[in-house]
Amino acid sequence: MATVARRPRRHSLTWLQGLGCGAVVTLLPAMALLLGVLLLPGGLALLYDRQPGRPVARTVLLCGTAAVVAPVLGLWNAGNTVDACLGLLGDLRVVGTAWSAAALGWILAELAPVVALVVLEATTQARAAGLRSEREKLKAEWGFEQEQR
Amino acid sequence: MATPQEILIADRYAVRVAQPQQEFGGGLPCFAARDSHSGDTALIAIQVRRDAPARARPLQTLVHGIEGLLTPLAHGIAPAPRGEAGYFVICPAPPGPPLAGRLHPWPEAALIAFALRPIALALEKLAGHNLTHRAIRPNNVFQGQPGQPLVLGAAWAAPPAMHQPALFEPPYSAMCHPAGRGDGSIADDVYALGVLLLTLALGRLPLPDLDEAGVLRRKLELGSLAALIGDERLSPLISDLLRGMLAEDPEHRPTPALLLDPAVARSRRVAARPPRHAQRALAVGGVGVSDARTLAYALAIEPEQGITALRSGTVVGWLRRGVGDAALATHIDDVVRHRMSDAVTDEGHPDAAMLMLAIAVIDPLAPLCWRGVALWPDGLGPLLAAAGDPALARSLEEMIATEAVASWAMLRTERCDLAVLRLEARQNRAWLATRGPAGGLPRLAYLLNPLLPCASALLAGRWVNRLTELPTAIEAAIVANPNTAPLDAHLVAFIAARGDSRVESETNAMTGATQNGLALSELRLLTQLQVRYYPRPLPALAAWIAGAAGPIVALWCNRPRRQELTEQLKALAPAGQLLPILALLEDPAGRSADAAGARAAAAELNRVEAALAGIAASAAERRRAATRLGQEIAAGVGLLALATMLALAVVG
Repeated sequence: MATVARRPRRHSLTWLQGLGCGAVVTLLPAMALLLGVLLLPGGLALLYDRQPGRPVARTVLLCGTAAVVAPVLGLWNAGNTVDACLGLLGDLRVVGTAWSAAALGWILAELAPVVALVVLEATTQARAAGLRSEREKLKAEWGFEQEQR
Repeated sequence: MATPQEILIADRYAVRVAQPQQEFGGGLPCFAARDSHSGDTALIAIQVRRDAPARARPLQTLVHGIEGLLTPLAHGIAPAPRGEAGYFVICPAPPGPPLAGRLHPWPEAALIAFALRPIALALEKLAGHNLTHRAIRPNNVFQGQPGQPLVLGAAWAAPPAMHQPALFEPPYSAMCHPAGRGDGSIADDVYALGVLLLTLALGRLPLPDLDEAGVLRRKLELGSLAALIGDERLSPLISDLLRGMLAEDPEHRPTPALLLDPAVARSRRVAARPPRHAQRALAVGGVGVSDARTLAYALAIEPEQGITALRSGTVVGWLRRGVGDAALATHIDDVVRHRMSDAVTDEGHPDAAMLMLAIAVIDPLAPLCWRGVALWPDGLGPLLAAAGDPALARSLEEMIATEAVASWAMLRTERCDLAVLRLEARQNRAWLATRGPAGGLPRLAYLLNPLLPCASALLAGRWVNRLTELPTAIEAAIVANPNTAPLDAHLVAFIAARGDSRVESETNAMTGATQNGLALSELRLLTQLQVRYYPRPLPALAAWIAGAAGPIVALWCNRPRRQELTEQLKALAPAGQLLPILALLEDPAGRSADAAGARAAAAELNRVEAALAGIAASAAERRRAATRLGQEIAAGVGLLALATMLALAVVG
């Protein structure tokens, strides 16, 4: 009887993430609300980014998280209450900063490949120009062009 | 003293073209000449025709005079009457006018004392040098005063017997092409002397009413003696002498030594078998044939009809039944059958070979007959020189290519040296078969005629028959027309024939026809020519080479090196030395380095092309890499921002 190689089983961490999120919502509802609102663009990016490794969502989340550090500390120092949370969420600078950071992350994730491509192409074209110049020089010096005709 | 503008032959003899001496030339253009050393004006210069070269062997051998003979003193190039280059043979002037204009009957004693003995003595001395005269005829035999011995004229300025009338030639020589009669043997001179004796005895030429063909036909039909003497009455002594001297078979004629004593010579009787005559004549191409000799002659002059008659069996039947010679008929039948089997296998030229062999079998005394051309093998050289007619040249080419001379000689081994003729035939065939411009008929013609001038049109009428004269002639030709290429097929054949083994190997290396521009093999040949035969500057030739060396320079791959070579060539040309030019263009080390450089450059070019192709093909890969890199950078920036914020939060 032929033995069928058993593929290694991939364990999904989604349930663990859900458990973490549920614990946060249960234990720290104000913190969960604050994070949910401020990291909303990152969540949307996670939802819509279908690329392997979700590179755009990753950058948006990283940038958004960087902007969330200060409000989270503020909420924590304010006792982690819903009022404090609503106070923070009512401050447009807090939400604007977090979402702007997420937007910057998105723009960065979109522009960085373009810039990298431009730089890479420029380098490659410079090298190709050098090679073409070398080719013309060889042809002129050794008459390969006439022989090819 | 010679005037400054005079061109001297052998640095000594001046030709006075303004003073023609036609009667002394034996039919050839003749002029007065003068010895610039001694001031002697009793000299003549006989002009040589371009297509009828002078006889090299007598000119080289006869360094001492022979009594009763105008021996050559020198030969060389001098201006001819119309200003073109001419070639002249210098001889002493004869003692008086030729016999031709003042024939009268001579008494027997005078014939013996003043004609037979002095001429036989001269012929004896010639035979001692293994030479022949072959020009004994009334317009080339001279007498100072009545009662003085006759003197033979010069016979060196034209191929042997070329200007002999059929009357003074044995029939088997007279039937040959005038240029193809060959040196022959001293017996042929004895024959001519016999006819001269008869002429002097009669006081007129025999057979005056017949043309050349008629004389020959009459001799073949009746035999020379009967044809020439006819009903004439001669003294018994002269009659006996002529019987021997005019014998058809050269071996039956007395030697010149024997003729010095006429009493002994007359007593020498050699019985020749009379030819068998047929009761009914056979017609071959309109020529009536009555015996084997006339049959051979008819086959020789009517080759197409002769081949038909042989193939149809007419000749064999006529020989067997008409002539009654069954042995000869069987022999001919064998030859025809053998050659017809060759025709089936398409070997060589079976018809021409069959006819040649049949003639040799029918008449063993006859010359070699090939497609209507009769010649003696030693006359091949002059005949090639005179073969301006393409059909004649083609026939000779076939004959040489099939080694017909060897086949012909095998049928008459007792009358010729088979080994020598076979060797010569093979050698001639090899030269003919040499590929490229250095082979073929021109080379053979130059090889077999050491004094034949180069017939190249490039030389524009200049007379060049030695390689030492060729470089200056080429230089002059280029000066006259700078667009002239210095080599053509005739020149290459001439150089190959006259040059030493090194030059010959250079000419043999030239496999193709000479082209526009210059090939390296041609440059090597011209350089060898200058180095070996004319080590003096040839600036016009060098300049032409510098201008035409494009194909050789193009053999170099490196363009800057080409340009450099062209500049160096221009710099070398004024010196007129070809060896540095050859060294510059040949340069094995430089060529090797150039080739190695070209290979390296080609490899480098391939590498560059591959790199360019790789760049062109990797656009998508670059785009993917750029995307990946950009995303990593973006993530890195985000991470850096987060770390910074965390650090700020921790600090305070």
